[in-house]
This record gives sequence, C-alpha cells and structure tokens, in this order.
Amino acid sequence: MAPDAVELRTVGRRVPQLEGADKVTGRAVYTPDVVLEGMAHGAILRSPHAHAEIRAIDTAAARAFPGVLAIITGRDLPGIPYVHISKFSDRFPLAREKVRFFGEEVAAVAAETRAIAEEACRLIKVDYRPLPAVHEPEDALAPGAPEVNRAPADTGERNVALKFSRDFGDVAKGFAEAALVVEGDYRNGVVSPVAMETNGTVARWEGGRLTLWTATQAPFYIRKEVAHVLRLEPACVHIKPVAVGGGFGGKAKICEQEALAAALAIAAERPVRLVLTRYEDLVAGKTDHGKAMRVRTAVDAEGNILARSSSLLIDNGAYTAFGPVYVAAARQRTCNLYRVAAAHYDCRLAFTNKVPGGAYRGMGAPQIIWAIEDQVDEIAERLGIDPIDYRIKIANRPGDVTPLGWEITSCALAECLEVVRERLGWTEKRANPVPWRGVGVASMIHPSAGVLYEEGNYANVGVELTAEGRVRLATMTADAGTWQNTMLAQLCGEAMGLDPTLFEVIHMDTEASPVDLGSAASRVTYVTGNAAADAGRRLVAAIGAALGARYGLGSVAAVIMDCKVHLTGLNRPPLDLAEVFQAVGPLRVIGSFSTPATRPDPETGYGNYAAAYCFGAQGAEVEIDPVTGKVRVLKLVAAQDVGRAINPTAIEGQIQGGVVQGIGMALSEEMVFEEGRPVTTSYLDYKVPRFDDLPDIEVVTVDSIDAIGPFGAKAAGEPSINATVAAIANAVANAIGVRMRELPMTPERILAAIKARDGTPDIATRPFTRRKNFRVAAVRSLYPSLVFPALRTFGPRLAGPETAPVARAPHSYPRSVAEALAHLAEDPAGSKIRAGGTDLSVGIKQGIYSPAAIVDISRIASLAGIAATADTLTLGAGARLADVARHPDVPRLAPMVVEAIGQLATPQIRNMATVGGDLCQQKRCWFFRSALPCYKLKGATCPCFAVLGDSRNHAILSTERCNAPCPADLAPVFAALGATAVIASPAGERRVPMDGFYRWSGEPDIAPGEILTAIEIPVRRPTTATAFEKFALSKGYFGVASVAVSLDLAEGVMRRVRVAMGSVSPFPERARGAEELLEGARPTPALIAEAARATVTGALPLKPAAYKTGVLVGLTERALARATG
Amino acid sequence: MAMQRAEAAHPVLYPSMDPITVNGTAYTPAVPAETPLIDFIRDTLGLKGTKLGCGNGECGACTVLLDGRAVCACILTVGAAAGGAVTTIEGLGGESGGLHRIQAAFLEVGALQCGFCTSGMIMATAALLDDNPSPDRRAIREGLNGNICRCTGYTKIVEAVEHAARGA
Repeated sequence: MAPDAVELRTVGRRVPQLEGADKVTGRAVYTPDVVLEGMAHGAILRSPHAHAEIRAIDTAAARAFPGVLAIITGRDLPGIPYVHISKFSDRFPLAREKVRFFGEEVAAVAAETRAIAEEACRLIKVDYRPLPAVHEPEDALAPGAPEVNRAPADTGERNVALKFSRDFGDVAKGFAEAALVVEGDYRNGVVSPVAMETNGTVARWEGGRLTLWTATQAPFYIRKEVAHVLRLEPACVHIKPVAVGGGFGGKAKICEQEALAAALAIAAERPVRLVLTRYEDLVAGKTDHGKAMRVRTAVDAEGNILARSSSLLIDNGAYTAFGPVYVAAARQRTCNLYRVAAAHYDCRLAFTNKVPGGAYRGMGAPQIIWAIEDQVDEIAERLGIDPIDYRIKIANRPGDVTPLGWEITSCALAECLEVVRERLGWTEKRANPVPWRGVGVASMIHPSAGVLYEEGNYANVGVELTAEGRVRLATMTADAGTWQNTMLAQLCGEAMGLDPTLFEVIHMDTEASPVDLGSAASRVTYVTGNAAADAGRRLVAAIGAALGARYGLGSVAAVIMDCKVHLTGLNRPPLDLAEVFQAVGPLRVIGSFSTPATRPDPETGYGNYAAAYCFGAQGAEVEIDPVTGKVRVLKLVAAQDVGRAINPTAIEGQIQGGVVQGIGMALSEEMVFEEGRPVTTSYLDYKVPRFDDLPDIEVVTVDSIDAIGPFGAKAAGEPSINATVAAIANAVANAIGVRMRELPMTPERILAAIKARDGTPDIATRPFTRRKNFRVAAVRSLYPSLVFPALRTFGPRLAGPETAPVARAPHSYPRSVAEALAHLAEDPAGSKIRAGGTDLSVGIKQGIYSPAAIVDISRIASLAGIAATADTLTLGAGARLADVARHPDVPRLAPMVVEAIGQLATPQIRNMATVGGDLCQQKRCWFFRSALPCYKLKGATCPCFAVLGDSRNHAILSTERCNAPCPADLAPVFAALGATAVIASPAGERRVPMDGFYRWSGEPDIAPGEILTAIEIPVRRPTTATAFEKFALSKGYFGVASVAVSLDLAEGVMRRVRVAMGSVSPFPERARGAEELLEGARPTPALIAEAARATVTGALPLKPAAYKTGVLVGLTERALARATG
Repeated sequence: MAMQRAEAAHPVLYPSMDPITVNGTAYTPAVPAETPLIDFIRDTLGLKGTKLGCGNGECGACTVLLDGRAVCACILTVGAAAGGAVTTIEGLGGESGGLHRIQAAFLEVGALQCGFCTSGMIMATAALLDDNPSPDRRAIREGLNGNICRCTGYTKIVEAVEHAARGA
C-alpha cells in the first residue's frame, strides 16, 4: 500500500501542544523559575574592549565585598578550550591573555544576590592594554591588519579561519556558452536570534555530580562541552528537563553561561543561577554571520541555468563556533535550488573583533536565496518570461541530481509556486500595477535533516509503559517551542495506535533518555521522529511478547485499538495499558533511526547530503511609502512542501513564525556597532517585528509524502524563513524598479535607492543661512583627523573619575509638591525625579543616570490632574498618557495631543508614562544609551560619536556638540499648540513657553531642585485645525521625524500658524520660515510644498541622517494638507 | 547572614507602604519600596508565571494588570504599585480553577510555541478585551503592540484573541 493511502489516526490531527496548558497558566518551569535550596546568583564581568591584552586581574576588592561567595577568572579554570569543531577549537570559557570582542567573558562571580554579584563584577579591576581592532571582514583581510585570532596553518592568510574554493561541474563551459549572465554584489549585516527567554543556567554540584537546568536546544552538546572544559566525566553531568523559551539556533550548542554557572557552583559549593540580561544576550549571544556575496548566474537563451559562481566573504567573529559549518551550509545554499548545471563556490571565513557568529534559523539560506532569487527575477525579466512560469520551468523535480550531488526525491516545488500564484493574486496584480505597490515571489530548498556532525544523522528515543497506563517518551533533544514533543507523541502514538494525549514526553534529560544530538539543522521531525515511530512499534511488539510470555503462549502479536491492547488471534478480553503494566511490569524499549543517505565527501562537500529535501515558495505584496521609505508587507503567502503535515496547527505556527523572522531580517533587523561595541542592545534599537507591523501570514502546506520520513513527513519549521527575504526583495523591486543589494531594506536605504533611480538632487537646505553652521561644519571637517582622535583618547580621562553606578538609590515618596521640593532641596544636583519610571529605570541600567537619591512623585495626586477652563486645558505633569488620551475633555480641547499619544509608545508604557516624563526623558541616541564616553554623557572633553558613526537616527537641525534629537513626541505638539510649562521651584512657581522649555542642547530648562508640574494648553478655537505626522520604524517607537501643525483657518486664510518639528533637532524646533510663508495666506498645494521645503532651511545633516530632510518635508506637506484640507 | 548584610547596605524602606493586593490577597511588602514589582511577584511571592523578557518595558513578557490596566512589572516599582490591585497570570483563572476563556482560546487555537511571552500576552489580551470586548483585527494588533513574540509570527495570537472575544 502506498504510504499516502494508509489511514492515519493521529498524524494529521490538530493535537494541542502537550505543554500548552502549563504555558497558558504560567505553570511551566523555565530556567529562571528553578529555585534550589541555598541557591546563589551569578553575574559575568565582560570585556569593555573589542580587542585588548589582559595584563592583570585584581579580584581582592570584589572578594572582600559582603555576600560574595566565589569569583573565577580564566586562571581558575583548567585551561581547556571548548571543543566546538575540534580543529578550530580556540575559545576558553573565560578570556585568558586577550579579549577579542566587546562583551567577552572575563570573570564570573557567585554571590548571595544578583545585585551583589553585579556589584562585585564592578569591583574587579582588570588591567587592559587596548589593541587595534578589526571590525569588518574586508578590513581583516587587508594588508597590515591586526591579527584578531590565530588562523589555522592551512589557510596561510592572516585572519582567515577557513577558505574553500571548488568547481562542481564544468563552470567555465557554462559561462562560455551563456546567452546571458547576470551578476551582483549582495551584503547583509549581523542579525541575532533574540529568543524571548535569554540564555541562562542553574547549576548544582553535589557529591561529584553536576546537574544543570539550562535553556538549550541541545543538552547533548551542553553535557559534552561542560564536561570537557571542566575536566569532568560526561557521565557526571546531568541535564534536567526545563521549558525553553525559544532557540532558533541561538541555543543550538553551548553558550557561555553553562560552563560558567557550573564552575561557579563548584567553586561556591552552592547551587548557582546565572541568567543573562537582555543586554548581555544582545551583546554576547551568538549571532547569524554577516556576509558579502558576489553571485553570477549564466543561462542559455531559454533560461536554463548553465552555471553559477558564488564568492562569499563571511564574518566569523572573534572565535570559531559555527563558522566552518556555516561555510559548508552556505555552499549548499548557493547551487541546489532550481536546476543548475554547474557551480563554483569560493569562500573566506574572516576573523573580526565581534561576537562569534553562531547558528540562526536557515543558516545563511535566507540571504543567499535572496541573492539567487534576485537574479532569477532579473533573468525572467530580461528573457520576457513571467517570473513564476520561469521558476516552474527550472524547478527541481524528483529524480534530479544537483551540482553538489543532492538526489532529489519527494519534491513539490512547482505545486507550491502554483499555490502562491493563485493565493497571492499574482496574475491580476502583475497585470494591474498600483503605484508604490509590488508583488514578488521566491522559492527555497532545505535539507530535511542533514547535519555535518555524524551524530546528527541518527537518533534514539526511549518509551516506557507506566503503572498509570500511560506511555512515557524520553528524548534528549529539547523542545524550545517547536512543538516537537507533541509531534513525537503523535508519531509514536500513530505507530502504536495510541492517542497522543496518553503520552508524557520527557525531553532534554540526559539520564532518562538515550543519545540524540538535539534540536538543530531541521533534524527532529525526520530523524528523531522516525526513531519515535520505531520506538512505538517496538513497544507494541514488546507488549505482545511480554503478555505472551506471561500467559505461556510464546510471543504473540499485539494491536492497540481504542486504547486497549488486543492479542491477535486469541480469545482474551482486551487490556488497557494499566492492566498490561500490572500483568507484565515495567516495559521499556528504545527506538532508533539512522539516516540512510550516504554522507558527502567532507573535503569537497560533494555527495547526497540528506535523505530528503524540503521545498517551498512564498509570495509577498508590499507597499512603499515614498516619503518615508518604509516598506509595509500587505500580504504574505507561504506554500511549503512538508511531506505530510503531522500537526497542521504546529506547522502553520512554525511557518508563520519563520516568515515573520524573515520579514525582520528583510526590513529591520540589524546589529549596529561602534568601535566593535553593539549599540543596538534593546528591542527599541534591535527591531524585531511587532503585531502592528504585519499582516496575517497565510500558510498552505503541500504534501509530497516522503518515502523515508515518518509517515511521509519532512522538516518544516526552520526552512520557512528561507524564501521570505527574497520574496519581499522581489516585491520591492517590482514596486520601485530597483534591486536592493543590502539587507535589511531599511527606510533610508529604500529612499537612497529611489533617489539614485530618479537622479533626484539633494534637497537644498542652505545650511549657512544659520551662521553657527560655519563653525559646526569646520569642526566636523576636522573630526576624522584631529578632533575625534584627540577627544576620544584624552577626553574620558579629563572628564574626571568614573561615576559609580548606583544599584539602588534611596527613594522618597512625597505626597505633595512642597514635600517633593523639600526632598529635592536636600541634594538638588544628585537627585532625580521619578514619575512613571519608564525612562529612569532603564537609564540607570544603561549607566546614563546615577542619581544619589530619587524623589518618586507618583503619589502626588495634584500632579496627575487634568482640568479645563474656558481658555486653558491643564495637564498635570504626572498625568499618565493613557489617562490624558481617555479624558473626555482632551479630544475636544486639544485633539492633537490625543493623536500624538496614539502614536507614542506601547499600551503598557502609556499606562505608566507621564506627560512630564515624556518631555523630560533623556535622549535616545544609541551611542549615549550604550554609555560610550560621549559629550552628552561625560561632558565637554569628550566627542560626539554620531559625527563619524552610524547617525541615521540623529538630528539634522540646530546641532552643535551633541547630535542627538529630542525624542519627546509631545514636545512639538505642545510647541505647536503654544503651550506653557509650569515649573515649581523653592522660590515659587514660574511659567515657561514650550518654545523656551529646552536649552539649545535639548535639556529641559529646569534647574536642580525644581519640578515640572503642569502643561497649560490654550484650548482649541472653532477655527483651529491641527495635525500631527510622525514617522517611526514601528508604531509607538521613537520618531525618525515628526511635525505638529496648528493654524486657524477662517475665510480661507491661515492665521496663527505654528509648525513644530520633532526628532530632527535637539529641541522641538519651530519652522519659522514655513510659518512666515503660510501666515495670512490661502493654502494651495504649491504654497504647502514651498512651506514644507522651508522646514529644512538651515539643516546641516550628518550624511547618514540626510534622508531625514526629505522625510521631514514630506511629513510637513502631509500635516499641512490634512490641517487645511 | 550575608543576605542580611546586603540588605542592610540599602536600608531604605518605605515607612508606611500601603498593602498591595495580588490576585485578591493583600500583602504588606517587606521589601524596599523601589524593588521592581516583578521581583516582588516572582521572588517574594513565588509567582513565577510572570516572565522577565527585557527588563526595559519593551517586550511585554512581564505584563500584569494594575487596577485592571496592563503595565510592565519589570520597570514598575513596589512603591508605585502600593495601594493597588495586581493581577498576574496565576490570578486570571476561570471559575473553579479552570482556564480563563483567553487561556482556553490560546490553547485551542495553538497561539503559543515556546510560551515565554504567553503569560504577558494573555494579560495584555485581558486588558484589551476589558477595554474593547469585540476588537477587530486592526484593534487587536494595536492593542497588543507592546508584546513581542518571536515564535508565532502573531497570526494565531490574533486568531486566539478573536476566538476569546467571541466566547465572551
């Protein structure tokens, strides 16, 4: 019987996630939830340098700190590097002679509390000698580059960890005979998995045995590596089951905290919890690899691909973790999708002073397929073929052998493309283009389980009959949220004829389960899943054998139906599983599976890699905002050949999740570095997709019933990301006629592409109409050679001693403004006011605030009031944003305030943050927020890092020493409304118009000891029209640019025109030139356009922020049109 | 002993802190008023269902209700919550210990994978539906925009919220 004709009872059902009830009730226990008797808390001291020699480490002061239990440095460990891939083993759990990236682990502390451990880390004195660092792979290969890490002897090149070059087939002939060659250079930066649960471990050392609870995908690797670096017997290391909050590759092998938690537990003789903060996870968690790719594709006149050549330069980071595997995976990605006759691949893996690259979903496929599919689209266009027709023509088909020797068996790629064509509305949308909209399509291929480590190609699963009549399934691989446990129960249950709800699945446990490599490389469904099915069959056979023996009948065949065991051919009543257990006692069997495919040649990479391959196609429809450059995905259809859907709910969720990670990779996710230090260290700056950025993701699974996969299934979860970037990029190309060559396709890159396409000149800003810009321009011209080096070198030393961060400043809770003023008067300069706390709490952790005392004004009822008179609306400074927006009077009297609050922060933050807090929050500059020693943080002797760094978010108007813009959305709104700030001081109350509320530098003009108490807004007149326009990368994020307009329109004439700009200047600057043009005039499109252009008169943007001039002009036009429309 | 010494280094206790009601029980916190609310919930009360995702109020994993409104327990202090009523995921359950309709909807629709964001997501949904009992998809996406999920791509969560709203 053909496998697809078998009647399935369990496979194919939407079985709820086995752990789902625990997760929706909060009962599931994750690593940070593990509490052990006597548990201590760990913290890690990390390198503040991208590259430095460690001359000495002095831990004396830290050891003497009360509550410290143990401190370890590199010298306290056995001096054994991680195995990773043994030839490339180059990293110790703690740095020894050198640190090679910002955030590298230098020492670890165990203490009674996390706060004490962190404080002790600060007390450890490390004597560093900074060394020249290399941040980009191209620079690492340049002559004379500093050596980041020792290259293996066989590469013969400085900073090259691995190089590879080979032809598969006759590549030269392919290019020689080509009718058409397309080529391009493609580039992607560093992206990060950022699972919602950060990496973390709880370790216990007891009686010579180490027990770990750890957020990992692969306990197998944790046991192996921890035992290795701590010189323990692997059998003495026990990984326990725990819920794991996402992995995506970031937890695919050892991270660093496992070994450190273990070493601390041994040193402290106490259990230790070591859970990384989000900052640490973003700074030191392994990332995907940055790449530069040169790709060429040769086709004949019909479009048959004769050859492809791919040259890659891959960023390895400072140590080798996954790099060599990535080089091999990248090779596969370049030439196996579609029918390609011959392929060349060469690659260099370069060391840089960055966090080591790791594994991330797709292992390079999303970006490499982006390059390939960009060229496939270009070929289709140049040959005049419909892109989907062309893809179907060149699609892989069963029986194909690819240039790398992959033998294609089950394959439904052409079917997936047809599904996308129909569901996306492709034909109609391509035929009827809408301006600024586009549709694009892309395909993917992925090995269904293929691992370069031999252990990845087999699996064992244990199953056991329990006294309660259930089946306990034990697997060493971890379910990090993929529903693997549910699917393994379904597969085993299908093999047994048993309902999956009768299963208990124990994952991860290295003692309860037989060996399995773990959840990585798309192997669990296929390899472990087959082992689970095998285990089920064996358990049924074992039941039959045991019952037969029990009844003296010899071995008999058992069949399970309706949860009962029937013995074939015997006239005995069926037994339930509990009765079986009573009759025969415990039964435990191990099922196993070994992938039948031959292995590729390890040197060349040639050979069939996996027993099956997955395929899929995705189609995207996008819309681009020509003013802001923002790409919005309107529709996304993913059709995927999954072999057979074991659990449609699980697979749809996996595919939807992979697609959304792909959308992030395509449009917004990117690590930004300054001096090798990541400055994108929060979710505000490292921008993962949110609800409001996205459409519903439409998923169609296509069955191809694989002959070897369990019940016909293939891998499905990981590869769903593979085609997304390419589909979106092709849709963008369809919309704007430009092929983007750098990821992510951020707004400023899109705007630059449109500008280059049209040859649009820069907007004339006439910067020197502002006289101080002469000085600013002169200083900037000297910045690279003189100003920056001098200030960077000497500034921090001259700035005085480091201010010690205050772990916990004393708080006071006054009940009245007078009481608050009295508290402030005790230490005016050292005190900070806390209202909603949404900025202060964060800023203290970031090291930008170090108050000696905090005056919490949240309990002063008078500050939270909202009141209106005939002509004034008064918002208390302590009024929460949500309360302002909901207040019955505010929409009527000052609708623009409500409009702005709707675009400000998240619902949770609006419930906490206050009006005064919005106005008084610190700047959001990512250099400042990373506590780089900058002018704003450290004072006049220090430089502004934006001048030479990535200043895409910075101000374009009125900057001097600091280039950070005003982040407060309400500031331009209040300025446009002509509002007045009320400030209480010991001498009495004073009123300041919003125009004068900020100093030139953007600091509120509030003296130490004073409190902002209210904002008074003139109420809207019947003729008043207002509009607020803001552009942010995501709804509620801090603005890229905003503009608030208020004017009176009576008898067709504009009066009392106020235009105030946000996020483009250190303060909410009024656009006086625009106001003058509009005042007393009748609104016409031409006048509005002219006035909008006048907003940027005098702008002197840093180059990366120059796109903001166009954004500001466009937003102003929109706001004026809306207000006068 | 060491712990007592450590606490002694930060002796600032809010002298007359109002009690905090958590899931219906009033507590007079014996912790410094500036303690993050999440530490009080997780470490003092041992309610581990509330998760710490970022510590900066950016991801929503720690969302709890304070007097019915969704807030981030990671940046709210005990002092700021004093006098208020906090509801955590443990306090959401339906009648007689069963699942709340939102919890049931998430489970039934399959709107969860790793589960780490789920508590916060469900609490944010509770606040959303309290405010707007039958939100459309646009309103759901806006209302939950303070919560990040890295696993699901959000589509099934939107479906689950619709499902829960219909089941009201």
